[in-house]
Amino acid sequence: MGPGVRAVGDGGAAAKLRCVGVTKRFPGRRRQPGTVALDGIDLEVGENELVCIVGASGCGKSTLLNIVGGLEEATEGTVEVDGAPVIGPGPDRGMVFQAYSLFPWKTVAENIRFGLECAGTPRPLRAERVQELLGIVGLTEFADTLPRDLSGGMRQRVAIARALAPEPDMLLLDEPFGALDAQTKQVLQDFLLTVWQRTGATILMVTHDVDEAVYLSSRVYVFSSRPGRVAEEIEVPFGAQRGPLVRRDPRFLDLRDEIQDHLRTNVR
Amino acid sequence: MSDTAPTARGRRQSPLFQLRGELDGRTRLMLGVAGVATLLIGWEAAARVLAGDSILLPTIGQTLTALQELARSGELWGDLGASLRRVGIGYAVSLALGVVLGVAMGSLASAEASLEPVFGMVRYIPASALTPLFLLWLGIDESPKLALIVVGTVFYNVLMVADVARSVPTPLINASYTLGAGRLTVLRRVILPHSWPGIIDVARINLAAAWLMLVVAELLAADQGLAFRIVRAQRFRQVDRMFALLLVFGLIGVASDLALRALKSWTSPWARA
Ligand SMILES: Nc1ncnc2c1ncn2[C@@H]1O[C@H](COP(=O)(O)OP(=O)(O)OP(=O)(O)O)[C@@H](O)[C@H]1O
Ligand SMILES: [Mg+2]
Repeated sequence: MGPGVRAVGDGGAAAKLRCVGVTKRFPGRRRQPGTVALDGIDLEVGENELVCIVGASGCGKSTLLNIVGGLEEATEGTVEVDGAPVIGPGPDRGMVFQAYSLFPWKTVAENIRFGLECAGTPRPLRAERVQELLGIVGLTEFADTLPRDLSGGMRQRVAIARALAPEPDMLLLDEPFGALDAQTKQVLQDFLLTVWQRTGATILMVTHDVDEAVYLSSRVYVFSSRPGRVAEEIEVPFGAQRGPLVRRDPRFLDLRDEIQDHLRTNVR
Repeated sequence: MSDTAPTARGRRQSPLFQLRGELDGRTRLMLGVAGVATLLIGWEAAARVLAGDSILLPTIGQTLTALQELARSGELWGDLGASLRRVGIGYAVSLALGVVLGVAMGSLASAEASLEPVFGMVRYIPASALTPLFLLWLGIDESPKLALIVVGTVFYNVLMVADVARSVPTPLINASYTLGAGRLTVLRRVILPHSWPGIIDVARINLAAAWLMLVVAELLAADQGLAFRIVRAQRFRQVDRMFALLLVFGLIGVASDLALRALKSWTSPWARA
């Protein structure tokens, strides 16, 4: 077995996603030295597992997600989904981006519908699916609203619904709740857990919020800062069924402190 | 302490002189009317002061009379039709080229790498300097005039549309790919709609250059057209007619500007400021 290969949580058998030795170097401009954004990342996510990556700003988290999404190419190393190499983007891996990425000229419903249109879903089925997703993210009344007239939290919910529409079996989330206030964030975290349980998707999520990582995931990868390496991998013992009470669990607080310590020692 | 009123904090700014301030609709309209009124009053006053036996600057009334005369004799309509047709056809060709090449340059690195240096260089050749060449190549009928309008505007259109297409945010394009869109879908359903309001703005701004090239073309060889008519009027020292025709140019400009602005806010309500 290779370096990053291990049995994963939640009883998953074969890994859904496997990154081995993923390295990314960005060439420098005009005699500037290049940036090594990622250095030999070994990482695995099991089928139907929810895994978080935490790390300091600039340690390559977004870069790794883009590589898994097929939007960027690794300089070295391999990325496999279901044992097949990733060579480009596709609707099997839904993404929610760190930067705001809704289509500004499309209404909420049209944004969500886009992926279904690309997949050639028949019209009546499409409408049904959009209605269902609008219900899931609680935006039925805002179906015909343009993104510019939504709040930040609502936009993120649309982005998630849009990513869910083509029924990807893997979701890649890049700090999806980064810009939200604490209350909205908690609501959306619980929303994400519900979605995860309902769809059975495999989720890899980047966050800089340690509480969020512990609350949501079954495992947390702590990245060291530049170049990004896996500094620590931490198992979260709470099962799939978890609710707000977990936040008061003493183990929750211990884990949080542990991860925060790792982050502190691995910055710079 | 209690008998002195607290002083207000900060400084209140009049919206009229606030940088990036916002005016309400009425104030905005009134300032606009005031601007135009100043221009007209200045014109009228100067015309009356300078009035002598030979007119060099007609009054507003004289200009309007001349305009009426031009309309009554039918010359105005023939000239207007000829000029509008030239600009219409020439600029439509230029815009079509601008959109196709511009969007290609703005979205394909290979198109950009191959076209940018070519356009970067050719763009600096003044299009009006090509007039003699076009007359030689294409004769003196409509084609050299259309060619001048196309050549005089197409480079601006291409390069500015390329900028518009380049400014489509990468996350939007990436998101489309991860939603299952192919390259053609991204081009048609993401890059084009996102660029559309910008393309209308480019069309609006560069339209002025099309009229500039029209004048160049008509001054050299034409037997009809607004600019041709101005040269004719000059030959007979009919300054009032010249002014009437200049006024027509101005009105066409204002009308097309308003029309394109309306088209933009009608087709792309999401892009309103
Ligand atoms: N296209 C690029 N060209 C050059 N360097 C890049 C590029 N994209 C990212 N980098 C560099 O790679 C490093 C990692 O960037 P990345 O965006 O992955 O960080 P991050 O961990 O997502 O940070 P944050 O938490 O702030 O979002 C940074 O040092 C950045 O400067
Ligand atoms: Mg990032």
